[in-house]
Amino acid sequence: MSDFKPKILAFLCNWCSYAGADLAGVSRIQYPPSIRVVRTMCSGRVDPLFVIQALQDGFDGVFIGGCHIGDCHYQDGNLYTLHRMDMVAHLLDISGIGRDRVHLRWASAAEAQPFADHVTEITDVITKLGPFDKTTHELPLAALARALATRRLRWLVGIDRHISEEENVYLEKTDPEHFKKVLQEAVSAEYHKGLIQELITRGPVTVREMSEKTGLPVHTISLRLNDLERSGVAELDSCEERTPKFVASAA
Amino acid sequence: MSKDKIGSVMVVGGGIGGIQSALDLANAGFLVHLVEKSPAIGGIMSALDKTFPTNDCSMCILSPKLVEVGMHKNIHLLTLSEVESLEGEAGNFKVTVREHPRYIDVTKCIACGKCAEKCPRKVEDEYNQGLSRRKAVHVPYPQAVPLKYAIDKDHCIYFEKGKCRACEKFCPADAIDFDQKEKIYMLEVGSVIVAPGFRCYNPSGTDRYGYGRLPNVVTSMEFERILSASGPFEGHLVRPSDHKKPDKIAWLQCIGSRDIREDSHGYCSGVCCMYAIKEALVAKEHAGGKLDTAIFFMDMRTHGKGFEQTYNRAKDKEGVRFIRSRVHTIEPASDTGDLSVMYVTEDGQMITETFDMVVLSVGLEISDEIKALADKLGIETDSDRFALAGGFAPVATSKPGVYVCGAFAGPKDIPQSVMEASAASAAAAALLSSVRNTLTTEKTYPSEIPVLGEKPRIGVFVCHCGTNIGGIVDVPSVKEYAATLPNVVFAADNLFTCSQDTQEIIRQKIRENHLNRVIVAACTPRTHEPLFRETIQEAGLNPYLFEFANIRDQNSWVHQQEPEAATRKAKDLIRMAAAKASLLEAIEPLKIEVNPNALVIGGGVAGMSAALNLADQGFKTFLIERESQLGGNALHIRQTWNGHNVGAFVGELKKSVESHKNIEVLSGTEIAAIDGFVGNFTSTVQTGDVRREIQHGAVILATGGRASEPDEYLYGKSSRVMKWHELDYLFEKEPDKLEKATGVAFIQCVGSREPDHPYCSKVCCTASVQSAIRLKEKKPYLRVYILYRDMRTFGQREELYRKAREMGVIFIRYSVNEKPMVEKDGEDGLLITVRDHVLGRQIRIPADYLNLATAILPTEGQKQIAQMLKVPINDEGFYLEAHIKLRPVDFSTDGVFVCGLCHYPKPIEEAIAQAQAAAARTAGLLMKKTIDIEPIVSVVDEKKCIGCGLCELSCSFSAIRLKKVVGKGYRAENYSALCKGCGVCAAACPQHAIDMKHFREVQIRAAIHAGCTECADPVREAA
Repeated sequence: MSDFKPKILAFLCNWCSYAGADLAGVSRIQYPPSIRVVRTMCSGRVDPLFVIQALQDGFDGVFIGGCHIGDCHYQDGNLYTLHRMDMVAHLLDISGIGRDRVHLRWASAAEAQPFADHVTEITDVITKLGPFDKTTHELPLAALARALATRRLRWLVGIDRHISEEENVYLEKTDPEHFKKVLQEAVSAEYHKGLIQELITRGPVTVREMSEKTGLPVHTISLRLNDLERSGVAELDSCEERTPKFVASAA
Repeated sequence: MSKDKIGSVMVVGGGIGGIQSALDLANAGFLVHLVEKSPAIGGIMSALDKTFPTNDCSMCILSPKLVEVGMHKNIHLLTLSEVESLEGEAGNFKVTVREHPRYIDVTKCIACGKCAEKCPRKVEDEYNQGLSRRKAVHVPYPQAVPLKYAIDKDHCIYFEKGKCRACEKFCPADAIDFDQKEKIYMLEVGSVIVAPGFRCYNPSGTDRYGYGRLPNVVTSMEFERILSASGPFEGHLVRPSDHKKPDKIAWLQCIGSRDIREDSHGYCSGVCCMYAIKEALVAKEHAGGKLDTAIFFMDMRTHGKGFEQTYNRAKDKEGVRFIRSRVHTIEPASDTGDLSVMYVTEDGQMITETFDMVVLSVGLEISDEIKALADKLGIETDSDRFALAGGFAPVATSKPGVYVCGAFAGPKDIPQSVMEASAASAAAAALLSSVRNTLTTEKTYPSEIPVLGEKPRIGVFVCHCGTNIGGIVDVPSVKEYAATLPNVVFAADNLFTCSQDTQEIIRQKIRENHLNRVIVAACTPRTHEPLFRETIQEAGLNPYLFEFANIRDQNSWVHQQEPEAATRKAKDLIRMAAAKASLLEAIEPLKIEVNPNALVIGGGVAGMSAALNLADQGFKTFLIERESQLGGNALHIRQTWNGHNVGAFVGELKKSVESHKNIEVLSGTEIAAIDGFVGNFTSTVQTGDVRREIQHGAVILATGGRASEPDEYLYGKSSRVMKWHELDYLFEKEPDKLEKATGVAFIQCVGSREPDHPYCSKVCCTASVQSAIRLKEKKPYLRVYILYRDMRTFGQREELYRKAREMGVIFIRYSVNEKPMVEKDGEDGLLITVRDHVLGRQIRIPADYLNLATAILPTEGQKQIAQMLKVPINDEGFYLEAHIKLRPVDFSTDGVFVCGLCHYPKPIEEAIAQAQAAAARTAGLLMKKTIDIEPIVSVVDEKKCIGCGLCELSCSFSAIRLKKVVGKGYRAENYSALCKGCGVCAAACPQHAIDMKHFREVQIRAAIHAGCTECADPVREAA
C-alpha cells in the first residue's frame, strides 16, 4: 500500500451536504483529511467546467455533494446536477480519464455518518486510482473543457428534463432512452471536436498527426474536422507535399 | 387597564433564558432592561464546556448571543444589579433596581488586564468553581459581556485596609474609580420576566461522598471547568490532588436529587443523566480513548430529542460503562488520592472498585437569594421553591404581567429554557402589543467604505476556539502562513474570535490596516457568518466582503488524530478563502415587504396556542386543521402531570381561538401547496372541494403526532389489551369493569427505544404512573403493575413515582432483550410473564387488563409538508430545527417555525411553551414592514445573452424570465425578489451570460485554483 493521500475538491451545497459535514464535526465522526471544500448555495451551481478545472489544477478527484432527490432546498437544483454529472461521467469515460475521478453523492443536513462514509469511500476509490497526473491528461482535459463549454452540450443537458419529463409545445414527450442516445452522440462529437480544436490551436497539424495524438481513427478526425471547417473554426493552413495541415481560424 | 401601558420589559437574570427573552423582545419592538446581579451576563451556560447531545462547544454557541445583547440598541444592560421592589400592575410597573458599584468606569475600561496583573490579592475564582484563583479585580471569563473589569469589594485590600490602589496606579485608561457609589434606579416597565436560573446542589453539607474532604471527588460543575480550555487546567484532563491524568473516572448520579433525606431534594433534576453522558464522552475524547468511565445511576433518563441515541452511542460504541446502582459512600482507597467506590451489581454482587476521580452529578436547586427575589416580586413558589407557573400558561407566574422562564420554573435543560424564554417574551409582547415600538430606536451603520477598484487588503483572523481548533491545528503556524498569502495584509489568532472583545479588535484592525476584505477561519459560516458580517458592517465594510474558512466543524473536529494533516488542510482552506476574498464585491441590500399575516398548520393545543398568542399580538392568523374540529390529541387527555384538567382547558382554548377577531379557523382543511418565501408565502388550502389561496408572511408547523399501533403483547388480539387512554375510558364508561378487576398491568416503551423508533417518547412513564395512581385511588386493593425499562418521571414528576410506590403500585423493570410475554389466561384473563429485577427470576402476573404505552410518532403527511417548505426532518420523521440547543423553534429556512409533537414527543405544557416561543419568533418577523433578504442573486450579461430561454425553464422560482428587447428579440431578465440564489441558471446558461453574486464564476474558479496550486501534501512534495 503506498502512502499516497489524495487531495479531493468537494463542492458542498449549503443546505444539506455542507450542513451534514458540519454535523459530522459536531458528532466528532472522523474521516480522512482529503477534501477541500468549496461551498455553493446549491449543487446546481456547480458548472461541469468547475469540475474539469479542478482536475486541470491537479486535484486527484472531485466530490459533489447535494441534497437527496426531493429534498433540494431549491426544489430541483440537484436534478440538474444529476444530469450534468452523468454527462461529465460519460465524457470522463470516453476521454480515458475515467468516471471514478468524479463522484456525486447525496447527504442531508442530518446525515453526518453517511457524509463521513461518502468521504471515506471516495477517498478509498481515488487512493486506489493513484495520483491524478494532470500533464498526461492535459489534452483530453482541455478538450473536455471545450466540449463542456459548447452551446450544444449545455443546451442539451439543460433541456433534458424539460422534454423528457414534460410535454413540448406539440404535446409530445421525448423518450428518455432516445434522448440519452442523442446526448451521448453529441457528447462524443463535441469531445472529438474539442480535441481537434485544441490541436489546431497549437499550430498547423495534419489529420494523421491528429489521429496519432488523440487515438481517434482518421475517418473520425476527417468527419469532425469537416464540421469545424463548416462552422468556421478550422481552416486549411498549408500543404506539406500533398498532406494538408490545418489550423484554427483567426477569430 | 387603569394606566397607560409602557413599551418596555424588565428581564431579571442574564443567563441563557434571560438573554433569549431580551433578544426576542428587543427585536420585536420593545425596550429591554436586562438586570444581572454578577458583573457579566452568560450565566451557567457560559461555564459549561460542551453541550449535550451534540457536544457543541458551549461558549461558541452562546457567544454570538452575548455579543448581540452587548451590541443591541434596545437592550439596556444593568450588571451588578438587583431588583429591590416591584409596584404597579400588568402593563405599568415601577421597579426599583439597586446597582452595586463596579469601582471601574466602564466607559473608560479597555479590558487590557493591567489592573488584574498588578492586583496583589488572589481569591478563589468562582467561574472556575474555586479550582483556580483570580485577582480581586477581575473579569468573570474571557468572553464576558460587558468585557469590563470589576473590583470585588469584599476581597480588595484597599477596602479592607485603606491602602493599596495598585490597580489605579497602573491603569492606562484611568478607569479605576474607588469613589463609585451604589445607585438606585426607578424603572417603568410594562412587564417583567424572571429568569434567575438555579444553583447547583452543594454536596459539602453531607459527608457521604467525602466532598470537600477528598480532593478528587468533584462536582459535575467543577468537572465542566476541568474539561474546559479556559478552565483551571487549560483543558487538560487532570485530577485536582496531584494533577495526574486519570485512568478511571466514576460519575454518581442523583446527588441531591431523587433523595428525600432532609439535606437533599425529592425531585429529579432532569438534566444530570445527559450531562454525565456528555462529560464521560468529552473526557474520553480528551484522554484519547484510553479512559475508563463508569456512570452509576438509578434510571437513565434520556428523554429528549436525540438523547437516547447519544446514550446508546455512549454505551454501545464509546464504551462508557453504565452501572445501575446507587452508591452510598466513597472512601479513600489509599493515600495516593485514589477513591474506593463500593456498589452492588444488578445480580446482587458486592463490588469494590478503585477510581482516580469521582464526579458527583449534582442536581439543581433554588437558592435563598432567588427565593428572596421571588418574595420581593410577589410571585408564589412551590414547596421545592420553584416558581408556581400556571398549568396551561407555563410561563405565567401568580402575578399578572410577571412571567417566568428557565430552571426557576422547574428543573430543565437549555433548549427547554430557551423555548420558555421565547414563550415569556411572547406573553409579554401580547400584553404590550399596543405600545410596541414606542420606546425603541433603530440600528444604523456607518456609511460604507467604497472598495470598487481598490486593491484588496485582506485581514485574516484565525480562531483557536479554546482547544477545539487550537488543540489539533497548529494555529500560530496557520496564522503565520496566512500572512504570507497574496493580498493578505494582516493576520491574527484569537482564543475565541466570536467573543465581544474580538469583534472590537476586528473593527479596530479594519480601521488601522485599511482592510477591505475579512476572513475568519473558525467554526462554520452556518452559525457564525451573520455575526462577523455584522461586525465588519459596523466598521464600514459591506457585509459581503467577508469570507469564512471552516477549520473546525469540517477540519479539527473530524481529523482529531491527524493534527499535521489538519494543519495543512486549514492552510489550504484559508488560501482558498483568500483567493475568493480577493475577488469579492460589495453587494447592495435587497429589501422586501413582509405580509403581516401568519399561517398555523395544525389545530391541536400547540397550533391553537401559537395562533392565539399571535392574534393577541395583533397579527391576523389562519389556523388550518385537517380534522373537523380543533383540539388534536389533547381531546383524549384527562389531566396534566400536576393535575390540571385538560378537557376544560381545551374547551376554553377552542372558544377563545374560534371567537378571536384576528383568527380565521379553517377546519376540515388540508394544505395542497405552499409557495413563496419568508415574508411572502402563498398557500393553497383545500376544504372539501373548495380550493383557496392564502397570503401570509410566516408559517408555524404544529402538525402534531400520533400513538403507534403495536403488533405485540396481544394488542388487537385480545379486547383486554389497550393502549394509552383507552383503559381510562373503559373504566369511566363501564365502572363495573373496574369493580370486577383484580389486577391491571402497564407495559412501557412499547415501540419506543427500539430500533424502529430509537427515541424515548418522553410522556409515557408519567402517563402510566398517573393512571396507576388514579386506579389505586378508586380501588386501593387493585393490584397494579408497571413494567418499565427506566422510570422517566423527570423533574418534579418524580413525586408521582414516589406516590405510586407508596400507594403500592408494583414496578417491575424489564430488559429489552427479555421483554415480557403476554398470553391469554382463560376467556377473560391475561397472564404476563416477566423477569423480576429484584428477585432475579421469572414471575407470572395474572391481570384483567393490560395497557400499553406505545411510541409517539409524527403525524401522517408530515413529510409532504416538509417537502413543500423544504425544511428538514430527522431520521425518526420529526422536524429538524435550526439548532437543537439555541434555536429550538426555528428552521434554517427563514419564516418557518415549529412547535408541539411534530418536533418531538412532549407533555402538553411544554407544547404550549414551545407554541408561544414559535409565536414570539414569528411575531419578531411579522412586525417588520420590510426585511432584508439575501441579495445573493443572479445577474445577466445582456451582451452575451441570446435569449434562448434555458434559464427561464430551469428556474423553479420564475426569478429569471425572457423579456422583449426592441431590435434584439428576447433577453433574460432577473427578478431579484424571487431569486433564491441557487445558481442553477448560471451553471446552465449555454452562453455563460449568467453569473451569481457572491458565487461568481471567477470567485469559485479562484478558490479551486488556490486549493491546488500549492499541493502541501508531503508525498507530492517529495515526488
